[in-house]
Amino acid sequence: MTRNAEGATIVAASVLAGFGVALVNFAQDRSVDAQTALTFLVFVIAFGGLHLAVRAFAPRATPLLLGPVTALTALGFFQIYRLDLALGSDRASFQRWWMLIAAGLAALTMLLLNRTTISILRRYRNITLLISLVLVLLPNLPTDWGFPLRGLEVNGSRLWVLLDVGFTTFQFQPAELAKLGLVAYVAGYLADHQRALREARRHIGPIAFPEPRQLIPLLITWGVSVLILISQRDLGASLLLFVGFVLLLYAATGTTGYLVAGGFLGVVAGVASYMAFDHVQRRVIAWLAPFEHYEDEGYQIAQGLFAMGTGSLSGAGPGLGRPDLIPNASTDFIFAAVGEELGFAGTVSVIALFALVVAVGLGIAFRSRDTFRKLLAAGLTFVLAVQTILIVGGIVRIVPLTGITLPFMSYGGSALVGNLILVALLLRISHEEAA
Amino acid sequence: MNGPVRRLSIGLFAGFFALLISVTWIQVINADALKADPRNSRPALSERGKERGLMVTIDGTVVARSVEDPADPRSFVREYPEGEVFAHVVGYNSFLVGSAGLESAYAQELRSKRDLTISDLVTVILGRDLRPQSLEITLDAELQRAAYQALGGLKGGIVAIDPSTGAVLAAVSSPSFDPATLLGADAAAVWEGLLADPNGPLLDRATREIFPPGSSFKTVVAAAALDTGAADPNTQFPDPLEFQLPGSTATISNAGGGVCNNGESITLLQAFVVSCNTTFADLSVRLGAEDIGITAEALGFNTEIPFPWTVPEAVYPVEALSEDPAALAQSGIGERDVRAAPLHMAMVAAAVANDGVTPTPYLVNRIFDANGDTVEAFEPTPMGRAMAPATASVLTQMMERVVTEGTGRAAAVPGIRVAGKTGTSMGPEGLPNPWFIGFAPIEEPSIAVAILLEASSELGESASGGGVAAPIAADLIQLWLERSP
Repeated sequence: MTRNAEGATIVAASVLAGFGVALVNFAQDRSVDAQTALTFLVFVIAFGGLHLAVRAFAPRATPLLLGPVTALTALGFFQIYRLDLALGSDRASFQRWWMLIAAGLAALTMLLLNRTTISILRRYRNITLLISLVLVLLPNLPTDWGFPLRGLEVNGSRLWVLLDVGFTTFQFQPAELAKLGLVAYVAGYLADHQRALREARRHIGPIAFPEPRQLIPLLITWGVSVLILISQRDLGASLLLFVGFVLLLYAATGTTGYLVAGGFLGVVAGVASYMAFDHVQRRVIAWLAPFEHYEDEGYQIAQGLFAMGTGSLSGAGPGLGRPDLIPNASTDFIFAAVGEELGFAGTVSVIALFALVVAVGLGIAFRSRDTFRKLLAAGLTFVLAVQTILIVGGIVRIVPLTGITLPFMSYGGSALVGNLILVALLLRISHEEAA
Repeated sequence: MNGPVRRLSIGLFAGFFALLISVTWIQVINADALKADPRNSRPALSERGKERGLMVTIDGTVVARSVEDPADPRSFVREYPEGEVFAHVVGYNSFLVGSAGLESAYAQELRSKRDLTISDLVTVILGRDLRPQSLEITLDAELQRAAYQALGGLKGGIVAIDPSTGAVLAAVSSPSFDPATLLGADAAAVWEGLLADPNGPLLDRATREIFPPGSSFKTVVAAAALDTGAADPNTQFPDPLEFQLPGSTATISNAGGGVCNNGESITLLQAFVVSCNTTFADLSVRLGAEDIGITAEALGFNTEIPFPWTVPEAVYPVEALSEDPAALAQSGIGERDVRAAPLHMAMVAAAVANDGVTPTPYLVNRIFDANGDTVEAFEPTPMGRAMAPATASVLTQMMERVVTEGTGRAAAVPGIRVAGKTGTSMGPEGLPNPWFIGFAPIEEPSIAVAILLEASSELGESASGGGVAAPIAADLIQLWLERSP
């Protein structure tokens, strides 16, 4: 596939976004209005612009990544727009602004990071770590102090930061950016220490275990994850951070013991938090028996299953279902909303597109010759894949529901910014390795 | 380092694969169950405002239709022009309180297939019609209205069927409700009010409530006696003041408390005509539960009647009665544990009228599409023979005597030969449930009826089948024969 074909798929995905909006309008008995053209235009500017940025800054990058990402964003966007009409909210226009901002920042990322500057991430990783940890802890700022930057509690979780600039306020989830920084830090750390980590290990039976001393980074990350779980009540970010780290540790060293130890620590933390926190207990109850607890804990999952089941094979049609009946449909449950209106065809397409993005990301990691870049690409892809599997798996009842967003599709500016920068990093690495 | 990454990617793709399997389970394999879950409001929501098919009676009266919503030209509202007269048969399809009656039983046929989706296009390409289908129902609107009015707001149920085909000509339950009131925004409150009403307007006393049939059940016992040859109309029975229940100190006495004839003896015919309890208690014990049970079951007792909705089974508990002669004697006069809905008793009358063959009752004559073309027509198949033609003929003569000179004289129609049997069973608080079953004209029967008035204080404690139910039968038979000469 060539760069031109990538451009064509981006235009096609933009048409899909505009067409989706038009179909929703038609189904809702509204005339097809300026929203259709506006949506198409914003997609072309944002992703077409990103395409041009790739041509300029990373011309040898894989052409397989941007198309699927645009398509996923389009599928998510049309549901966000559709839910606006049902709920009277105004999220679609925010999302469009964020799309432009995110694409701009992603382009900037590609401009700034070249072969030499990317190694700055490795060398000064402690600064990245510091910034990331500050970002992670930002939502714990007091909610009511005079400072323009405050914490914000949404649905019982402390994930948000509110920035008051006088005439207006911005809300964002700093964890979405912190996850990139943490992956970069870990990739840098492991790139420098992987040989030592790999050699210092002993075998117990068929499983290789690291030296006890080498487990310290694992334990630190575990501690941070548990801290996030306690202080912010954010099961999703906590799990994502820990699982991503363990996978990367294994990828870097090939030491199976890390998976075993990580699994053990994960189970310990899981059981302990189940016993300690009722919000974790509620998630487990809702996961195991949503219909038996339909009136309270299970309601959201049950509604998601009803939505997807009613959508069945071909879906209710854009604008013709009732995804507005699912609580938090445009954020956590956007996958179920797509499943209701586009049916099995839609959900399989979404899973296939994510699998494609992950496959391309892993391919970039495989082909990287530089250890840091390889680990960075692998880590970013792991995070993307684990996040997708966790949230979709939570909706389809494979795992307990964790309140995280579905990359590219869920409503939310900071998530879109974080994930498009993630894509920009992958593209940049891809460009380096094709040389 | 690519080795571990490769192994991890296998793990990740296993994760994606698990998502696919789970989505397949939810959206393909288990989709229908999720769709049908009563807590899932989506299917009902998507039906709201859509066009539904007509329900038209055999005489061309529209009893359910969808008309364009004046407020929203793309939406439809459901109308029930005949209101409470047809309520229990037509039912309703309400977003807030669910659906019932034919609206529920034929929901698939009556709904519009137009979903504004790709599947519409496929359906059209396949040459299928997206427009809803309609029902032609067997009821006669005039007869139905007359039956509803005859009950006069009292608790009760009436069923009339064509004995030769089983077509239900009238099925009325009183008191009733206007199904249109369950469609509005205040449907839930209306529903609560109907549920709380002590007269139970939501109950279908024609086909879905069973009552002790009282002496109208003597028709079944007489049929068994004649059919087995155990007795003929002239067989003599003792005529005591009371019948001593076997193995018990309790007795059965007659209505009015006296003997039925001369205190010496009475023929089966006489006993049937004056509805003599002592004779039928005696006869019942002589016949035994098995022989009565065979006839009763061939007439529709202890049997699931195929109908648009689940009809409770009429009860004649053969096994229990074969071990309890006292109960057997009481059951011979339609008391104790014997139960039937007017629908079942109309089938008993129809079987006698139909030379002993029990017809299968049916409500929907045909389903037709938006062009009026028949999609499916219903050919009734009889349930089977309940008694020999000769038995039916003799029983008809006995039933005619009930109307000409017995307890059912109020069912007489000038110039028409009517056959019938009255009944008055024991209801709650000692109040009576009056019954009448019958058919006409005897030469070529075209209507069989069963009329039940449920025990109530409004009806009083002295009401009898011959007094209050038989006159209704006369009116309905007269009306029907005027309408179909």
